[in-house]
Amino acid sequence: MTEIFGIILIEGLIYGIMALGVFISFRILDFPDLTVDGSFPMGAAVMAACLLADIPYVAAFALTFIAGSLAGMTTAVFHNKLKIPGLLAGILTMTILYSINLRIQNFSPNISFLKVETLFDSVHDMMKGVMGSTWSVLLLLVAVTFVLKTLLDLFFHTDMGLTLGAMGDNEQMVIAQGVNPRVMKMIGIGVSNGLVAISGAFAAQYQGQADVNLGRGIVVMGLASVMIGEFLIKSNRISLLTLRVLLGSIAFRGIMFLARNLTFLNLKPSDLQLIYGLSIVLLLLVTGRKQKKNKRSV
Amino acid sequence: MKKITIFALVLSVLAMPVLAGGQSDEEKTVKIGISKIVEHPALNAIEQGIQDELAALGYADAEYDLQNAAGDMNTASQIAAMFKMEKVDVAVGIATPTAIALATGIKDQPVVFSAVTDPVGAGLVDNLEEGKNNVTGISDMTPVQMQIGIIADLGNVKSIGHIYSSGEPNAVKLAEYAEEGCRDRGIEFVAATVANSSEVMQAAASIANKVDAIYLSTDNTVFSALGSVVEVATKAGIPVFTADTTSAVDSGVLGAYGFDYYKLGRATGKLVARILEGEDPASIPTQFMTEASDLDLVLNLDVAEALGLSIPDALVKDATTVVKDGKVQ
Repeated sequence: MTEIFGIILIEGLIYGIMALGVFISFRILDFPDLTVDGSFPMGAAVMAACLLADIPYVAAFALTFIAGSLAGMTTAVFHNKLKIPGLLAGILTMTILYSINLRIQNFSPNISFLKVETLFDSVHDMMKGVMGSTWSVLLLLVAVTFVLKTLLDLFFHTDMGLTLGAMGDNEQMVIAQGVNPRVMKMIGIGVSNGLVAISGAFAAQYQGQADVNLGRGIVVMGLASVMIGEFLIKSNRISLLTLRVLLGSIAFRGIMFLARNLTFLNLKPSDLQLIYGLSIVLLLLVTGRKQKKNKRSV
Repeated sequence: MKKITIFALVLSVLAMPVLAGGQSDEEKTVKIGISKIVEHPALNAIEQGIQDELAALGYADAEYDLQNAAGDMNTASQIAAMFKMEKVDVAVGIATPTAIALATGIKDQPVVFSAVTDPVGAGLVDNLEEGKNNVTGISDMTPVQMQIGIIADLGNVKSIGHIYSSGEPNAVKLAEYAEEGCRDRGIEFVAATVANSSEVMQAAASIANKVDAIYLSTDNTVFSALGSVVEVATKAGIPVFTADTTSAVDSGVLGAYGFDYYKLGRATGKLVARILEGEDPASIPTQFMTEASDLDLVLNLDVAEALGLSIPDALVKDATTVVKDGKVQ
């Protein structure tokens, strides 16, 4: 029974890293970035290529982050230099990435990790006898997300990080300070998609495969996680902002799990997407109501 | 107020497993978990076949947990985790991604894969002679060589066009085999790939004037736009031959050679029953649908006539289903 919590936490943290990326682009930069649906499977593809080539994990994750960042920067270039609207720029990169990802995967749409040792397998082997596979994986992910979250918090306390945050709020003000918003956007979207790619690499290892279709609808999950997080904690402190994204992601996984088990309502497995969608709408409705109420009382 | 909402949410998350688990801890019956990648006629037929076969073998009161990843690979592993917790007696994965997700997530309960074209390539098993630990299953490898052979027998076929989805592992593998089959016979192989079904018509148009026939393997993406392939091919005056026998009767396809996915489901059910009886998955080799009784040849002579093709009599004799004058014979 407790295993369920373990799994919800594991998935919540894995996709939480992606949600952190989505949080940076959507909330901090105020840039609707759909590159995510392509950079997520890209992370999986790069990880698959690295594992097959016996590249050590640290280097593999570094390459994954770089690949994702490059994908994000491509979107930024499309947007900044070619003046393509943000939404379309992301969709374009995502479309392009489908072919690129197939190339990275050597034209095979699905690479199974059953034949190679993944980071999770290694950790599991190391912890054998000490704890079960679920808990060793969870421990690893808690450590990884903690490090990533802390790095992100530190980044947002640097001058550059603060400028990034200010830019999402008021771009004109930042320009008036002599900052080039294009460069800032490029860095922000790059970091965002780098995180998404890392999340994709973890998700692929968790599922045992890198698949070109892995990214379908990922950005929606990320957005939902961010919004659920906002529903949970109200704050402006960056450390709480990033924490609530992770909590939101865990809660979203929990909702998914619950939705999957609503068999007593005579629901069919194919109704699942409907349930996800409706539960998010419901949540937004509740959040919206609450905000209105707060405003009225002020 | 804020604290209360947080508390309520945490509480509801905590309550989930209780709500979810309440139904599974009852009396001990056989429980089978089936995870398929999408809602699709062929995959649904497998699901039905498994249940019908098990019922026929005496497992009439078996309990099923039918799950569908709805095309979302990320959901597939969540399904695996759920089957693991429910302690299903056998977990069945229909299609490659769902099968891999089950084999990755479940290590101590039997996992049966179905409709996986290349189980060795997918790492589900190390070789076709035996299972791997808790995993064994059935391949939906269609007789590509024979299909290409039949097209070649139609006479005067110098090049075969093949449309397939670059995103489907099975389709890509089958395309490799088809290319090999064409090469062996000295036939030119012209491929066109698609990423989704909206591209199928254009892909068909791009090769229709360059080839003498179009061959389609069991590719879900392409089959969802079969009508447009037939339309383009008919205009160009070339036949379409497929690996999916269910599509061949009234869709304007010249013919098909392969097996019925329902039969694959029945065979999967048989395999599940063997494991329920106590056989070790590791000792069961990968099964194939290669028995003559598994395979059907469907020919539509009306389409042949419209295209001005004469089908060799020997081939018509071999056919299990022949359509003539709008009637199935």
